[in-house]
Amino acid sequence: MTDSKETARETEGEIELDILGQVCPACLLVVLQTINDHRAELKSGKTRLVIKTDHRDSTRTIPESAGKMGYDAAVKKKGNHYEIIIGKG
Amino acid sequence: MKSSSAKDKPASASSPQPSTKAEQHPTREEEIRQLREENTRYARYIREKTNQLLQVMGTQSLKPEEFDDRELLSLDPIGIIAGAFEQVLEHLNDTIAELSEARDELQAIFDATGVGISIIDRDFCIVKCNEKQRELLVDSSIEEVAGRYCYNVYCNRDNPGLDCPALESFATGRPVTVREVKKKDKYFQVISTPFAIDAEGEVTRVIEVAMDITDKRLAELEQERQRGYYLTEKLKFATVIESLSEGLLVTDASNRIVSANTAAGKITGQDQQQMLGADLFSLLPVAANQLGGKDLQQGENVEHLEITHAGSGGDRILAINAVLLKDSETTPIGRVLTIRDITEEKQRREALFRAEKLAAVGQLSAGLAHELNTPLGSILGYARLLLRQDNFTDQQRDRLNLIAQQAKKSSAIIQGLLNFARVSSTTTKAGEAGCYPGRVIAEANKVLAAEFEQRGITVNTRLDADEAVAIDAKQLEQVIVNMLLNSMQAMKATGGTITITTDVRGNRLQLSITDDGPGIPQEVQSRIFDPFFTTKEVGEGTGLGLSICSGIINEFGGAIDVYSEEGRGTTFTITLPLEKKS
Repeated sequence: MTDSKETARETEGEIELDILGQVCPACLLVVLQTINDHRAELKSGKTRLVIKTDHRDSTRTIPESAGKMGYDAAVKKKGNHYEIIIGKG
Repeated sequence: MKSSSAKDKPASASSPQPSTKAEQHPTREEEIRQLREENTRYARYIREKTNQLLQVMGTQSLKPEEFDDRELLSLDPIGIIAGAFEQVLEHLNDTIAELSEARDELQAIFDATGVGISIIDRDFCIVKCNEKQRELLVDSSIEEVAGRYCYNVYCNRDNPGLDCPALESFATGRPVTVREVKKKDKYFQVISTPFAIDAEGEVTRVIEVAMDITDKRLAELEQERQRGYYLTEKLKFATVIESLSEGLLVTDASNRIVSANTAAGKITGQDQQQMLGADLFSLLPVAANQLGGKDLQQGENVEHLEITHAGSGGDRILAINAVLLKDSETTPIGRVLTIRDITEEKQRREALFRAEKLAAVGQLSAGLAHELNTPLGSILGYARLLLRQDNFTDQQRDRLNLIAQQAKKSSAIIQGLLNFARVSSTTTKAGEAGCYPGRVIAEANKVLAAEFEQRGITVNTRLDADEAVAIDAKQLEQVIVNMLLNSMQAMKATGGTITITTDVRGNRLQLSITDDGPGIPQEVQSRIFDPFFTTKEVGEGTGLGLSICSGIINEFGGAIDVYSEEGRGTTFTITLPLEKKS
């Protein structure tokens, strides 16, 4: 595994997941785990998951997987990294 | 999941217990080594399964450098993916429930909609149709329509016609609308839309929607019928307007001509098309004040307004009726003008009035002359008797001469009156056969030749026609002599030229006598044919000459006209009917 470690920070209504430096499929596994852990809040629409990643493939795999699981996903380019937002519209 | 089935597991993992005799008493080191190997096999198995699951999730396989076995095991990837799959499954179930609900809703719409819907396959077989479609296009005798040919059921045909919308949709892949399919005494609009497309891009099913447009179509047909009726009526109305001998003009609120018939153009001397859009009062400036001016609000209906209009062929007298056009709130929005050219009518009326006046004067004159003739004869007779006596002084004799002279003059006036009365009141006499104007003119010239010579007057005669006219020759001579005398007297002592011409126009002869005398003032031209009207010095003329001439010529169905310009001369034109050839 790379040296980078994910960090998750929870504030009210938002979980921020920083996976900068990580590549697929580790990224996806980490994201899926976070979604599993916060399934109820995310499904209810009260909380959204904001992922910071600099791995381009993740901007495809994460929204696709989230979509299959019934979540809405949006990708934004933020400087040198991407921000993927997952939640319920 | 397949990944959890027993046959996919590594052989060692499915039976981890030792089974051989050599393995029954392993050393501790051996045992540790075996456990490590088993751990490695388990880790490999988990890695393989995880990779399989990751592929299902659409991402790449785990790289050995990314997670070592311990990290992989501690992460519990299968547990994570299983949790994700659980959510995928839950989402799929939700979606299926939503789709099922949507399908039920669609079915309800399909059944309850006000339009007929049917789904047709590529063989033109009906896959499905709703109740409305059945009600609109299916004969009640047909129980089941599914599987039957649409052209058979809906159109009563043996094959799809060229106008079949489904045929075109299958061929082009585009929606097609067919307007006006008629069945069961109703009109339909049918729209065919491609519904399913196969892997080759071919349309395999179309959805056909039939809408009942009977009310709309009947309304359209009624509208068309009414439009036809109004167009026919409009045409009739236009023909009636065009056929009017009276001119008809319609103007808008700003006095612009919006409609004009042919007669209006003819009467006003304008081009009919160019009149459209023109200002009414530019066309008929004289009528502006009498019609209430340009402000339509001040306008009023006018009947028989007589105006003199300067047309291209000279002044014409027009009679105008004007009616205001009003809208439903009685606000004036224009005018309708009917125009009649009454020039000839007025001339005829004036001629009749003159003739009646002449007849009245004639009757009066006859009575007066008859009553005065006898006493005048006595005065003259006795004056002459007295003059034969020689016992009068010279002064007395002069006075008697004056009495005789004045009585004679009075007698001449009375004779003129009797002549006038005769032509005005007697019935027309047929002219003697063979009255040739050339001969009559020559006779008249002979009578006056000495006078002409004495006054230095030249008479030119140019006879372009000398056909017999229907008049008494002696009376025509009287008229010509009278005319020549008038011309001669008008020229006084200055001399001049008199020109006599004849010409034939149709069945009439035109005889003109033109002098180059001083002419007749415009203001008296209309009165010169009136009895007792004279421009001569008192005592020089009775004012009966032209009246008598006019009477004679009218009596024989002719006419006398005068044209005169002051300082340039006068032309009298006598028009007489030609003698009928037997």
